[in-house]
Amino acid sequence: MADACALEGIDITRSFGGFFALKGVGISVAAGEIRGVIGPNGAGKSTLIDVLSGRAERWTGSVRMFGKDISASSIQQRRRAGLARSFQRTNIFPHLTVIDQLTIAARAAELPNVEEIMAELTLTAMAHKRAAEISYGDQRRLDLALALIGRPKILLLDEPAAGLSIKESLDLAHTLKDLTARWGVTVVLVEHDMDVVFSICGRITVLHLGAVLAEGTPEEIRNVPDVVTAYLGSTT
Amino acid sequence: MRPNDAASVRAMPLRSAPARPVVAAAVAAATVAIAALIAKTVQSELVMTLLTQAVITAILATGVGFLIRQNGVVSFGHAAFYGIACYTIVLCLRNGIASPELAIVLALIVPTAVAFLLGLVIVRIPGIAFSMLTLAVGQACFEFAMKARQVTGGEDGLSINLPAQIFGMPTTWFQSAHSMFVISWGILAVIVVGLWYVAESPFGLLTAAIRENEERARFIGYATTLPRVLVLALSAFVVAVAGVLFTLYNIFVSPGVLHWSLSGSALIMAIIGGTRVIWGPTLGAIVYFFAKDLAGDVTEHWQAIIGLILIAVMLVAPAGLGGALAKLWPGSKTDG
Repeated sequence: MADACALEGIDITRSFGGFFALKGVGISVAAGEIRGVIGPNGAGKSTLIDVLSGRAERWTGSVRMFGKDISASSIQQRRRAGLARSFQRTNIFPHLTVIDQLTIAARAAELPNVEEIMAELTLTAMAHKRAAEISYGDQRRLDLALALIGRPKILLLDEPAAGLSIKESLDLAHTLKDLTARWGVTVVLVEHDMDVVFSICGRITVLHLGAVLAEGTPEEIRNVPDVVTAYLGSTT
Repeated sequence: MRPNDAASVRAMPLRSAPARPVVAAAVAAATVAIAALIAKTVQSELVMTLLTQAVITAILATGVGFLIRQNGVVSFGHAAFYGIACYTIVLCLRNGIASPELAIVLALIVPTAVAFLLGLVIVRIPGIAFSMLTLAVGQACFEFAMKARQVTGGEDGLSINLPAQIFGMPTTWFQSAHSMFVISWGILAVIVVGLWYVAESPFGLLTAAIRENEERARFIGYATTLPRVLVLALSAFVVAVAGVLFTLYNIFVSPGVLHWSLSGSALIMAIIGGTRVIWGPTLGAIVYFFAKDLAGDVTEHWQAIIGLILIAVMLVAPAGLGGALAKLWPGSKTDG
């Protein structure tokens, strides 16, 4: 069922007063796909991830995971069902050691793959260091590791390469592509680094002013004039 | 997976600070032996009374400190749980509701249950608002005890008569400062070791993670309310133990056991001793009582001396005296 829909957001709207962060957004991500979500600041990318992951409150529409409506599910219910996420700002447990926090995450997962995750994300050498004592790049990988524990079915990544060097970003992108392909994880990737997005995403959704501006393969997106005008032209 | 990495991880202990239960139990047993030696050596009833009060209050402070350590919140109202335990025994015995043994068991259960139910509502409330709510609950209990004279005896308090034996032990053991000091110290040692086990357990690690970053804990798959409620209930249980010992020792209770100033004193002890190590509040209670006694000989404003000690500790050793001492211990783990 390679083409089955893993994650669907249907007619998602979220507003703050008169401002629409998302306005009737629809997104449908096939199982095993890596979907990029791009757009200028304020386009609604992180809000969309928040809605899909259960973090956002007071929104309308629905979210389906493998056909099942999870709109009313709590954050932890979604996580236990296999929907994980990472964060734009590093969101870890600063005073716990790397291995302690991964161990806690593993206890909530069906597959407690702590050793595997530490090895894949090169965290093994710092296993017994507190998270606050490791470098920013390592903290970003730890954030990702917390999301990857248990081999989730769907992974929502909110700017995983934020603050990383070009080399670190591309290394992370290739690790992600490799891991998700081997594990069959469906990925929704919000990212500003176009090199990362265009190198690993099979399809891309472009958001602009809280609405979907375009959707297609990287080649198709590169050739949409509105996208070039609204976003790519000024960033690549 | 990279084979070398995997092999090196397998060689590591899963937790960063491997549990040392035998050492902890041995240290606890040694301290009880020292307490017995002190009780045998010190003849002064006054000094032993002071020490007994210090140990009972140390149990109270340990409960308050455990809440800070695991949940990261400060309670200004833990005297409520202490006082509820005291009044449960007294009211059960005076009204013939239960035998002394059952009254003691109820005195442990009732405050714990109250804390659990209260916790379901208040643990979601962060920071200073949580502290103010605990203060409000504590003072509401105090006011009730003051006003409901028919039930509580009001400001005059209530006294009880105990039978000759409780749980097969002569009641005189509970009213003698020398024996009560050893009993209380033994119970304190069991509590400290027990809480240490809890803190080192998977549950303790989870609550430390929730304290650190509650949102992320939810995003790795945990419901975060119940663990926080259980920590509050456990800390109330510890405080209730102190209330039971206080009542057995004094065979009298008055609304003072519910007053915010008792919660405040326990909090000061916990902060002086530090909450990063489970035994920190015990150290704080010992320092508090001796400073109070020594300063009381010099000035009636002994609270000012305690205040200066508190300021000095906050400035020089923000992790408390216990935290500072633990840092000197190689490989010690004082947080998380």
